[in-house]
Amino acid sequence: MTTAHDNHATGMPRSRFGRAYFRYAVEPWLYLSPAVLLICFVMMIPLAIGIAYSVQSINLLKPFDTGYVGLENFAELGDDRKFWRAMTNTFWWTFGSVTLQFFLGLGLALLLSRPFHGKRAVQALVFLPWAVPTFLIALTWSWLLNPVIGPLPHWWAAMGILEEPYNILSNPDTAMWGPIMANVWYGVPFFAITLLAALQSIPHELYEAAEIDGASRWQSFTKITLPFLGPMIAITVMLRAIWIANFADLIYVMTGGGPANSTQILSTYIFTTAFRALDFGYASAIAVALLGVLLVYAAILLFVRAKLVKT
Amino acid sequence: MAEMELKSVRKAYGRVEVLRDIDLTIGDGEFVVLVGPSGCGKSTLLRMIAGLEPITGGEFSIGGRCMNDVAPRDRDIAMVFQSYALYPHMSVERNMGFSMEIRREPTARRKGPVAEAAKTLGLDRLLDRFPKALSGGQRQRVAMGRAIVRDPKAFLFDEPLSNLDAALRVEMRLEIARLHQRLGSTMVYVTHDQVEAMTLADRIVVLNAGDIQQVGTPLDLYERPENLFVAQFIGSPNMNVMDAAPGQGGLILGSGAVLAGPEDARHVGIRPEHIEIVEGGGDVTAEAQVVERLGSDTNIYTEVKDIGPLLVRVSGNIALSPGDKVHLRFPPGKVHFFDAGGRAIRAARDKVQ
Repeated sequence: MTTAHDNHATGMPRSRFGRAYFRYAVEPWLYLSPAVLLICFVMMIPLAIGIAYSVQSINLLKPFDTGYVGLENFAELGDDRKFWRAMTNTFWWTFGSVTLQFFLGLGLALLLSRPFHGKRAVQALVFLPWAVPTFLIALTWSWLLNPVIGPLPHWWAAMGILEEPYNILSNPDTAMWGPIMANVWYGVPFFAITLLAALQSIPHELYEAAEIDGASRWQSFTKITLPFLGPMIAITVMLRAIWIANFADLIYVMTGGGPANSTQILSTYIFTTAFRALDFGYASAIAVALLGVLLVYAAILLFVRAKLVKT
Repeated sequence: MAEMELKSVRKAYGRVEVLRDIDLTIGDGEFVVLVGPSGCGKSTLLRMIAGLEPITGGEFSIGGRCMNDVAPRDRDIAMVFQSYALYPHMSVERNMGFSMEIRREPTARRKGPVAEAAKTLGLDRLLDRFPKALSGGQRQRVAMGRAIVRDPKAFLFDEPLSNLDAALRVEMRLEIARLHQRLGSTMVYVTHDQVEAMTLADRIVVLNAGDIQQVGTPLDLYERPENLFVAQFIGSPNMNVMDAAPGQGGLILGSGAVLAGPEDARHVGIRPEHIEIVEGGGDVTAEAQVVERLGSDTNIYTEVKDIGPLLVRVSGNIALSPGDKVHLRFPPGKVHFFDAGGRAIRAARDKVQ
């Protein structure tokens, strides 16, 4: 014990690569290595390969034309009208879905946070959509929207929203609403769960104190509930926005990006470019562009969140 | 102006009755303390006065106006919570000025009252801090400051000192007493600590199991408890109670000692500080078991054969060690008599005096 201690005290500078150095600098990494390796294999290596693909020409239909092409793929993006269309669609898809999911989820969380009869059963039911496979959701919604077998177009026509019961998925002007509706149905429970958890962590006395201080319901909400939920709102909105921007399943099953690319978002465009057109190089370039957009977005939101948490 | 009146107020959760027929008038500017063991309904009563709990039956009015269905924010009262209930995302200044913020008073106008309250509570240098950076005592002061700035008709305190350490509790108790003297507002204060009740109250309301046991000034409760519960709850250390039976020459205690007293008395009570130690004779002979020397007083835990333990408190320091035999005398004027149901037999006791 004493000798080990002496070694440590006097021998440290001399034996830079000795036992002490190993203990303090290398050993922690040994324990971290499983996690580090996992992250490398599932994230870092695919990311590096993807970025490497984006500066190459890799097209399975032109197997002899493979090789480094520099930024040619990215230059091509600039002139690709389908790319810019998909970019705009991605924005509206993400914005529409997140906004509706958030406000409906917040409303649901507020409703579920007050006591009522059969609360547990209702809570369990409300969270059910989150557990349904997305392909099933996409199929169910496309059937609901199909006037031959689904009721929704007939109801909308009866209410005067549609002039006649047609399939909104087949109209380029309205097609995006189909996947958004399915996505809202699917994603509301996520916001409801997370916001409900945050709501329940607010001490009840604060509301009582505010009530005695003279606050109305609305003032309690804006001055106590919202500041408490702020950091949680920022982080969930950020996470959901990134997931939804990358979320191709619903659109791919419901519309396949059509009609006339009116529901093509970047992730479905990447998918079709890679696995339909078999142009992996160009698909990787689109993916890198999407990554860049999302990084900028996440940086902005993290900055906002840091400001909210500080106070 | 701010006289509060409760007329046969009751509270029930479903079929469980927690308060029965509460009749109480709290005068303008009075300091009333609700005291009782935990679960007696005192906090529920306070929350009903605040409007945080609906009143099941009866009528509650402030200044003659029925308040049963009036929301807390329209009752013009302020409350200090046991947990302080400070808003953690607001600075001390904003916490204290919150009621004015709610009334949409301009920021400039909020400064004055907040600064004034902060000065009297010694918080002027902490206004920019957030609650998490304050000590327990400082948080308590902020909670009081918030109530003061509210400038209400009445202050309600729900066990405000129970989260503080002993020294701070004494200090804050004094602060609350000063606050009452300075503002002269009506105050209703809930505590389970009878020392707080005795020191702060103009009048004490003793509650037990949903019923008012007795209402009176602190000395009233100490000198003339109406029943065994009040007798044993008020006063520290607790009153000694012995069983008694009527017999030849008055009341016979378990040891065979005879006391003069009313013949329907079944319990005899005497406070530890009223028992006298005498050289010889006396009413009972006891054996000292534990002697606690507090400096100012000495507590002697004694055992009397066939009666049980008796606590004796004498002023100052006396030479006595465990195992010693002592003769105890119960001065006639200091003995309390209770009937079989625990009610005080007042007239008889006064006769003895």
